[in-house]
Amino acid sequence: MPVTILAPKAVRVGYGANPDHSDSEDSGSDPEGDVSMGLKRAAAGRKAAASGGSGSKYEIVTPGEVITDDPQWMRGHGTYVAPATTSIISSVAGTVTRTNKLLSVRPLRARYTPEVGDLVVGRIVEVQAKRWRVDVGSTQLASLPLSAINLPGGILRKRTETDELQIRTFFAEGDLLVAEVQQLFADGGAVLHTRSLKYGKLRNGVFVAVSGMGGGGGVVRSRRQVWTLESANGGGPVDIVLGVNGYVWISKHVETPEGLVDKTSGITNIEESVSATMYSSQNDRIGPETMREIGRIRGVVTALVDNGLRVDEDMVMRGYHEAVEMAMTSGEGPEDIYLGGERGEQLAAALTAV
Amino acid sequence: MSDRRRINGPVGATIPPVSEDGASREVAGSRGGRSRPPNAIRKMYLKTGVTPSASGSAYLEIETSGRSGVSGLKLSCTVHGPRSLPRSSPFSPHIILSTHVKYAPFATRQRRGYLRDPSERDLGTHLEAALRGAIIADRWPKSGVDIIVSIIEGDQDRETSKTQGDESWDLMNALSGCITVASAALADAGIDCVDTVAGGVAALVSDKGDASPSIVIDPIPSEHDRILAACCIAYLPTRDEVTNLWFKGDLPASDTELYTKLVEKGIQASAKANRVLVECLGETVG
Amino acid sequence: MASTQHVLLSPAELAYLHAALSLTPPIRPDGRAPAQFRPLVAETGILPGTNGSARICFADGTEAIVGVKAEVERTRLVDGATAGTEWKEGGSARGEGEDDDGGDKAGDSDWVELTVEIPGYRDDDAGTAFLAAMLSEALLADGAFAKRLWINRRFHWKLYLDVLLISPPLSYPLPLLSLTTHLALLATRLPRLKSEGDEDPFFDDDWAAARHLFPRSSSSTTKESARPPVTLLVMAVGNNIIFDPAKEELAVADVALAVSVAEDTTAAATTAATMDLDDAAAPAARSLRLLSIRTIDPPSRLTPPGVPNAANSAYGATTAQKQPEARTAEAEAVEGVWRAPRGGAKPLVMAALVQKVLEKGGVADEILDALDAVDLG
Repeated sequence: MPVTILAPKAVRVGYGANPDHSDSEDSGSDPEGDVSMGLKRAAAGRKAAASGGSGSKYEIVTPGEVITDDPQWMRGHGTYVAPATTSIISSVAGTVTRTNKLLSVRPLRARYTPEVGDLVVGRIVEVQAKRWRVDVGSTQLASLPLSAINLPGGILRKRTETDELQIRTFFAEGDLLVAEVQQLFADGGAVLHTRSLKYGKLRNGVFVAVSGMGGGGGVVRSRRQVWTLESANGGGPVDIVLGVNGYVWISKHVETPEGLVDKTSGITNIEESVSATMYSSQNDRIGPETMREIGRIRGVVTALVDNGLRVDEDMVMRGYHEAVEMAMTSGEGPEDIYLGGERGEQLAAALTAV
Repeated sequence: MSDRRRINGPVGATIPPVSEDGASREVAGSRGGRSRPPNAIRKMYLKTGVTPSASGSAYLEIETSGRSGVSGLKLSCTVHGPRSLPRSSPFSPHIILSTHVKYAPFATRQRRGYLRDPSERDLGTHLEAALRGAIIADRWPKSGVDIIVSIIEGDQDRETSKTQGDESWDLMNALSGCITVASAALADAGIDCVDTVAGGVAALVSDKGDASPSIVIDPIPSEHDRILAACCIAYLPTRDEVTNLWFKGDLPASDTELYTKLVEKGIQASAKANRVLVECLGETVG
Repeated sequence: MASTQHVLLSPAELAYLHAALSLTPPIRPDGRAPAQFRPLVAETGILPGTNGSARICFADGTEAIVGVKAEVERTRLVDGATAGTEWKEGGSARGEGEDDDGGDKAGDSDWVELTVEIPGYRDDDAGTAFLAAMLSEALLADGAFAKRLWINRRFHWKLYLDVLLISPPLSYPLPLLSLTTHLALLATRLPRLKSEGDEDPFFDDDWAAARHLFPRSSSSTTKESARPPVTLLVMAVGNNIIFDPAKEELAVADVALAVSVAEDTTAAATTAATMDLDDAAAPAARSLRLLSIRTIDPPSRLTPPGVPNAANSAYGATTAQKQPEARTAEAEAVEGVWRAPRGGAKPLVMAALVQKVLEKGGVADEILDALDAVDLG
């Protein structure tokens, strides 16, 4: 069957909020009941805040809702203080978090906000005279200065005018790269750098964008964002880069190209040869088995996101093994890598059940 | 609802009588006849370099079918560029092509406005697809070119206003002319192309006399009782490739041979137009 | 919107995609089979204020709704001569009642007005005009659709189809819009006519008595089985034919076609008749009609080319530094390096694409079956 047409679902699940709870609140029909409810909530919030905040309970606030009017608290992200009062009011819909005396609200869904040290996958959207502008899924384009990349011909070479003229030979519009956030501007814009051999241009694989650092699903900050997976069915090793910003790169694992080391004269030039492949846009030969497994991992990532699950190393690994098992038993054999629609739901159910 | 105390005029609009002149009455009997053989296109006149101020230009005229009141197709095309893109536009590794097709307000039976209507925009998109395959876009990074085709006189018959659905078939003839003339103007402007591209139309027509429908190339809708299907093709003859295919009509899917034949004939028509194009370009140089 | 909207993909990604899609069988990025569509959620009758409506939603969040509104309009008489003859014939044919299916029941393409709206694009955008022209072209191609709007000699229904894409276009929205339009038309109902002959039309105000524009019943009369057309997007990469391409797949297409097909009402009757003679089994045989084909300009021509290592100065190639033109050099294709396709498509490839859509029991057939199963409420 080439197409599956489903009837619409009655309720969408997968959001952090408890729908029953909010429903019962919204359905308060008499206005006075609503007011008292609001007051009670505010009071409850205050009590929770005063008691030091256990943090165990989900507490969802909406914009305009008073979180506390106790002057001992400090206003953090996602809140504001009404003039001439001490009450802290939420400005976004999300969960309240407390850090010592700082009250902030983390929105349920948000775009990526960069933090120093984040590993991100980005796409070049603009080339300027001395820097690149990179889309990292944030509110602002990040910038990558020419001085923050490794130039070919020795890692610590000085930047020259020739490099400026040839800026497009390093990265051009559309190119994907993996980088680290080096510093932040006050407006939320990030400055990236690729001054490490593990960063640089991406090739030999596929890109998939999921939401990052929000509520529900998406990529979360974790211990390891980059790892190599030994894939099943003879696919060989596959690299996975989970950018904290929700951009994911799945590619064939490539060892240091031996041929190139041979050509250049010996071991002294090994640094140079490694950094040379950094700006290549030529793919290596990739076998169909590897492509199939890369496709399967991509399917796992999208299935995780579609079903509101978090994306990290553990989930991807478990999801991948589950997907391999499912394909083995499905009858179509390991060739079948489709994980959309119902199969994605099956996969998610299997993962959450464990 | 109507006023019953008065004698009303007839409901609905009336149209003043149209007097037939002698010539049209004479041919009325033979209407539907096609004087050319089924696989011959009409004669066309093509000249490049007609607008000295543009980077490239061409003029195309297709002969009338020889009767009074029947106009042929008259097209003029100007090419401006390649020129640098405005500073605000993003970097492009290729030449940016923008095509405009506009009927002159007086080109058709029904007067057209000065603003481009959806059918003209539609033609523009078709033309863009046809030309994009022909030009070598990466030779001109960071530049743009405007191709403007004016249809000075549409291929329409004044006498056949009652025939329904005529206009939609006319669009195909117009498009094939647009492709040919734009290709000539591009070559005149010196923009790199892989090959010259020309347009050709073939149609499956049924006439009263014939038992079964037949395929003709370069059809004139007024010469046939009914057009069952038609296709317009932009074809690169030396590469044997099609850059644009537009088919419209109603064909049974079980008989793909009919469709294949129609496309073949369209390619044939395009190849014939291409010979004129190549000859014209040769004359300009020589 | 244009199919050629700016697709920002890196040359390495494009080369990978092209290589994966050229394999036999192709490996699509989302793991679908070549002829498999994205799973979709469909419902009809969502807008009570319309004569018919439908909504389709893809898993990736792309969503379209279509509302159909009908108005009674006076038929414009084309010119004096035709009008005269029509009236004369009308006088004689009057007694036969409204149900006669005579040849004079002609429709006009002006009776249908289809508009497409895509968020973020101007409504006079060439791409939007192209989409609207493609959808209405398929609808009007056989001339039978406009005939359904005929009320009597003086009046007809004017049908307004408003096609709205609700989400931003994540992929070329043609198949989505076409399927939604198809469902909306299937769900469209027009009030039952109470008046007779050529008098001013007068309708039954009971909505329950309204008739479907495309009547659906199990009876096998030829008229009942008619369906609106569907337009499918199909593309070729290498030797593979791929249906319902996602945005990134379209970005490496060698050629892309939009093919509109409809069920053949007349031939279906004849085949059914012959089948009754041969054997009564296999009633599902459906023959299709080809209504329109358009080439979709694939965005692949506008993609940035990759640079082979040999010509890459950042890779240490010295030749490139001496002659900067060598970067855009006309070097022969290197494996693993993306190059935007040039030229057109071979006529044989195009014919194969069309053949694949139309073949018996093929994709178009199954799509129509799947749409059949949608509950019309």
